[in-house]
Parts: sequence; C-alpha cells; structure tokens
Amino acid sequence: MLSAQERAHVAQVWDLIAGHEAAFGAELLLRLFTVYPSTKIYFKHLGVCPDEAQLLTHGQRVLQAVGVAVQHTDHLRAALSPLADLHAQVLRVDPANFPLLIQCFHVMLASHLQGEFTVQMQAAWDKFLTEVAMVLTEKYR
Amino acid sequence: MEKQQHRLAFGTLVITSKLPDTMVHFTAEERAAVVSLWAKVNVELVGGEVLGRLLVVYPWTQRFFDNFGNLSSESAIMGNPKVKAHGKKVLTSFGNAVKHMDDLKDTFAELSELHCDKMHVDPENFKLLGNMILIVLATHFSKEFTPQVQAAWQKLTTAVANALAHRYH
Repeated sequence: MLSAQERAHVAQVWDLIAGHEAAFGAELLLRLFTVYPSTKIYFKHLGVCPDEAQLLTHGQRVLQAVGVAVQHTDHLRAALSPLADLHAQVLRVDPANFPLLIQCFHVMLASHLQGEFTVQMQAAWDKFLTEVAMVLTEKYR
Repeated sequence: MEKQQHRLAFGTLVITSKLPDTMVHFTAEERAAVVSLWAKVNVELVGGEVLGRLLVVYPWTQRFFDNFGNLSSESAIMGNPKVKAHGKKVLTSFGNAVKHMDDLKDTFAELSELHCDKMHVDPENFKLLGNMILIVLATHFSKEFTPQVQAAWQKLTTAVANALAHRYH
C-alpha cells in the first residue's frame, strides 16, 4: 500500500514519461537486454537483435501497462488482472526477472532526472513497481 | 597468469598456463567504461549518497548500523555524518576494485572474511549496494551512463559482490 506522499512521487515521475511511453519503453528494454542478456529469452519473437522499431513497439506496450498501474495504485489487482492472467498462463516470466527490469527502470529514470531523482522518489517508485511485479506473478500458482 | 610445468610420461615437458578459475573477464570496452567514469567520481559525495539511498530505500539494511545515531527519517539518514563517512569508506574500497578488476577475489578476501565473521552481513546486501552505486552514477552522469556503460558497471558490481561473499562459511 502506497502512502499519499508515495503516490504523489509516483505521479511526479509519471509526468516525465506520459506521452513518451514508446521512447522510454524502448530505452528500458534496451537497457534490460544489454545489462541482463538472459532476459532476451522472453522476447525471442523480436529476434536476436531487436531493432529500434520493435523496441519502440514493445516498449510502448510495457510502459502503457505501467501507466495503467499508475492510475490505479489503490486497486492494482483489479486493474492488472488481465495482465496477471497473461503472465501466469502464457508468458510465464520467471519472477526473478522483475527486479532486473525494476533496476533498469531506476537507472533510466536516474539518468533522465539526474538530481531530481531524489531518494524519496526512488523509494516510492521501487515500492510501486515491486507491488506491480507481485500482482503480475500472483496467479502463477 | 601463472605457468605450470608438468612432466608427462617419457620425459616430455609440457608447460601450461594456469588460468585462475576465479577470474572475471572484462573486455577492453568494459574496462574503459569503468575506468574513465571512475576518474570523474567524487568518492566522498557519491559514497554518502549510495549508502544513504540503501538505508532509505531498503530500511531493513539499517540493522547493521545501530550505532550510527539518527536514522529516523530520510533527511536524517541522508544528512547523517556517520552515514556519509562510512559511505566514503565503502566507495573508496570500491575504487580498489576498479584498480584490480582481474583479481577481485584475492583483493577482497580479507574484507570478505571480515563481513562474514565480524560484521555478519547477509551477502544479499552487496548486490543491493551495487544496484545503488549504478543508480547514483546514473544521476551524476546522465546520458553518458548508456546501456553499455551500465552493463560494464553491473558486471563489476556483481563481481565485487561475489568476491565479498566468496569467503563466507
């Protein structure tokens, strides 16, 4: 559960991303694949070396889902239920990978926001994304 | 690299290279990314931020710093002089890793024993601290902290974390 202040920090970060989901999503995936190459196994359909167009398309999808979560921090389970089904039944991404994606998200935000990526923002965003990951893997078993 | 001499049957002498099995291989590009960025790091400033962020974002890590005084709020932690001093100490030690990227397990052998036997630190914390280093570096170096640079630094922090955990028993 996020406090009011944490929700405010999450919304503040989202202000940077809203409208630019594709670009941020592409950068997020590029960082993920470069730093943690094993994560590419979940994206075999994008080929061995995903091109910019593919990263933008898929990146946008991922970040739009994050946007949905940002709008529904009070009822994540309901809002993300279809995505939770997808991850449990089709994608089956090993839960160990979510912290890797979350770390790349922080590094990306840090590089864009620099000093404005305060420790409170980082703490709130980390708590939020960790909750999202928990909801997405909750139906695994 | 150590060379070993083996005398085989019939007096045949064979010389082989003994590759340390503990060696993490860094490419020239990875080394360059690490060394060039490190040269620009303000160890005192960054060290304090790294440790401060660890204690705020993962509050359970405060368990190792009971004698550090006021850790009651985010601002107390980030402004705490003991946190800053210890952060500087930790990051200075990390500088040693940058100088000995080919020999991390030996470089950190003593520190590994210390963290196990005296400080009783869960090695999971080494990974968390490594992640904080990357995030703080990203805030300072911004666009320069490209995916490739991030990857090189992730490789180093992971290797240091493993080296620090190596002597646990």
